[in-house]
Amino acid sequence: MKVVIVGNGVAGMEAALVVKQREPDADLCLVSEESEHFFSRTALMWVVSGQLGHADIEPLERDVYARLGIRRVRARAVGIDAGARCLKLAGDLPDLPFDRLLIACGSRPRPGPWPGSDLRGVGHFVTMQDLEWLEAELHGGSTKGGPPNAGGHLAHTTNDSPYLPREVAAKTRGALARRSCVVGGGLIGIEAVEVMHAAGLQPRFFIREEWFWPIALDGKESAWIADRMREHGVDVHLQEGIEGFEGDDAGNVVAVKTDRGERYEVDLGVIAIGVMPNTDWLKGSSIELDRQGGVVVDEGLETSVPGVFAAGDCASVRWFEGSRRPEQLWYTGREQGRVAGRRLMGDDASYARGPWYNSAKLFDIEYTTVGLVNMNVEGEQNFSFEERGSVRSTTRVVLAHDRVIGFNLLGRRWDHEVLLRFIAERRSLDYTLEQLGEASFDTEFVPPLIIPPDARRAPLSGPAPSGNETPIAAPFGGASALFAKAVS
Amino acid sequence: MDLQGQNGLMDTYRKPWRNRGLGGVLVSVGLILFYLVLYFEDKLEKLIHMRPLTQLAESVGLRNRWYLYGFTYCVLMILGGAFYLRKHGNSRYNQLRIAVNVTVQVLLGFLLPFVMPLFNGPELYFSYFWPLKYDYLYPHTLQDLPLYFAAYTVLGSLVLAPVMAYFYGKRWYCSWVCGCGGLANTFGDPWRHLTSKSTRAWRFEKQAIYVVLGVALLTTAMVGMDFLVGSRHPTFHRLVAGEHWDDWSLKYLYGLVVGSILAGVVGTGLYPLLGPRVWCRNFCPMAAFLGLAQKFGRFHIRVKPGMCISCGNCSTYCEMGIDVRSYAQSDQSFTRAACVGCGMCAHVCPRGVLKLENVSKGQADKQRQGLRVLDL
Repeated sequence: MKVVIVGNGVAGMEAALVVKQREPDADLCLVSEESEHFFSRTALMWVVSGQLGHADIEPLERDVYARLGIRRVRARAVGIDAGARCLKLAGDLPDLPFDRLLIACGSRPRPGPWPGSDLRGVGHFVTMQDLEWLEAELHGGSTKGGPPNAGGHLAHTTNDSPYLPREVAAKTRGALARRSCVVGGGLIGIEAVEVMHAAGLQPRFFIREEWFWPIALDGKESAWIADRMREHGVDVHLQEGIEGFEGDDAGNVVAVKTDRGERYEVDLGVIAIGVMPNTDWLKGSSIELDRQGGVVVDEGLETSVPGVFAAGDCASVRWFEGSRRPEQLWYTGREQGRVAGRRLMGDDASYARGPWYNSAKLFDIEYTTVGLVNMNVEGEQNFSFEERGSVRSTTRVVLAHDRVIGFNLLGRRWDHEVLLRFIAERRSLDYTLEQLGEASFDTEFVPPLIIPPDARRAPLSGPAPSGNETPIAAPFGGASALFAKAVS
Repeated sequence: MDLQGQNGLMDTYRKPWRNRGLGGVLVSVGLILFYLVLYFEDKLEKLIHMRPLTQLAESVGLRNRWYLYGFTYCVLMILGGAFYLRKHGNSRYNQLRIAVNVTVQVLLGFLLPFVMPLFNGPELYFSYFWPLKYDYLYPHTLQDLPLYFAAYTVLGSLVLAPVMAYFYGKRWYCSWVCGCGGLANTFGDPWRHLTSKSTRAWRFEKQAIYVVLGVALLTTAMVGMDFLVGSRHPTFHRLVAGEHWDDWSLKYLYGLVVGSILAGVVGTGLYPLLGPRVWCRNFCPMAAFLGLAQKFGRFHIRVKPGMCISCGNCSTYCEMGIDVRSYAQSDQSFTRAACVGCGMCAHVCPRGVLKLENVSKGQADKQRQGLRVLDL
């Protein structure tokens, strides 16, 4: 049986590992264009800043393909012939026949809709090529041990590939970037800001919304992050979108214009307004895509074509609240890859989205979120408490009908599994605050969080503002039974 | 001074002197030369007709070159400690650990042994134990020590050190007390990412460190036997404990190879090329001994399941060459004999996945049976 996997990101690699674990002699071919080796996309920012080297962000040893007997094709997949069951490749490469196929081709950055978004010196921060481009703009090149065979795919690619090397403005200009900006107030945006800051720049950060990262944070939480960014010299522009970039005769970016009528000189711009499924190459095939381009899959991650599966960022899966969209997260990509690997081997397996949790680090402020936060749940109330002692932290507990449904926590470390248990056990606010210490994951000697009893007498606030205009149903009915499953 | 964030780490790979560039090579050559002169000045005198370190020590009023060394050591630890705290000081664990380590070394490793002889007392090192300070269990050394100190060193080496390692991990010594560890974590910190994480390096470590431990045990046993029967067997005495260098006795060779070359010349001299824990990781018999107690003890690094993003910060900044990420990304809490518990993996983790802990067997099992959210 011939198995082909498109993509060597976390979903594709996890699936390949499962296949080889189940069947060491399996005929497995892994097609991907972006990089020679599997790397952790979540770690790009540390390579640009110089905290990690290129080899450090590779989770598996470089000989993993040879050791496990995985055939590796460094090329761009450009289409699927579902009838003949073969994968079409760009360049003059022959078609790859398959019996089972996994599409794990990930995301591509959402292009800027503004004039000048394609100028030299304007780009994204999503791919390995973006990383090399930013290293060149900010530092003049890679740290020791750049990615091996970086251009290995160039003979077999197409012009619309997101993995083409980018032209470097610093090179044409003859000087490294000094005045930079980032557009888009999310996680990739703040990472781009951090790498610019690490390179000694004081970037402008354009955020269209009222505060930074409104889908995850409330106004108070976000104000702390914004203050911290400003302390580091970042020029945070809230409620200021951009209208376009201006270039010079050489085609290098020289300025950005905003919707407040301002014009700022810049020599580097990063557009970080999200990612979208990297599935243009599947349009016109018999694989069903959703409106945003995500590959529609059933619970077993099978697409509309039998024997063809999809996993990771490109797969449009059913979420806990019933909607269907891709999950652009590292751990869900890994979990989907594991399920897809078993499906490729003919096992019966299904992917069920567990309750939501995630963590991040925003400059030096650690962030943990668990359950339903900023979701505008029917009957939602929020308890929040700010700590300003030797540790600074914020604690927000989200309730619906007097039961805990979510946590949003900044400044300390937490064990999300314990917090999920409080939610699954439908605990009250009093119980949760009393037992919160059990969920602490702070390093040793950090004084514990103490919430004074009178803090609980403060009135609860209503739903935190969110993107959901209509409230979603209160949990513990329907889809949210998942929370209950977590303890069973 | 910017105590916030990990900005002290952000330029690690952009400084050539921290990445085996010319500056690093020069520091390494300088350190190696310094240690060669320090240990072998007597023999070098025949070649260069001077004793540079002894003369330097005497000219600044110190009794001998070892005090000059101790003084330099303290200065490097204090300065290195300040730089360390500037980089990693936004952690309570790091603050306490470095403060205790530097204080212990300055007081017990330098000032006390310097001051005691001024009052005609003996020169005693309370911060060193056998088998690192290998001669402290040699019978004729014990004989000459004051009784209280002989009791301290025997109990400390054979009971206190391993029992503490069982309950708290070998970190209580290797990164809170020890001078070698202290220098590695202060002066040597800029090079901590250079420790090799390869499987080959791990294999070498496991062989080398237990060989040295074996040789240390053998040497101590033989010297002990020599104490009992040496006077009746002159050949045995010469082979085991001969004091002349051209006897090439076991005791002399152990001191030369392990005590001087591996701990000093190689261990410290190669900081800028192979990372600051070359000695601790591959050769220190004390680390091997305490590592065994740790392996069966209560210390572990707990991994929060499902949260690791495989970024590689933990592995990169592990000075002992442990591939922490391989455990973290497979949701596996672990204890490695090599781990000195410096806490850097947990500190640099951007997702707060790792936690150093001392837990009883029962607690550890309970954690393992804990909720697995993804296994629905």
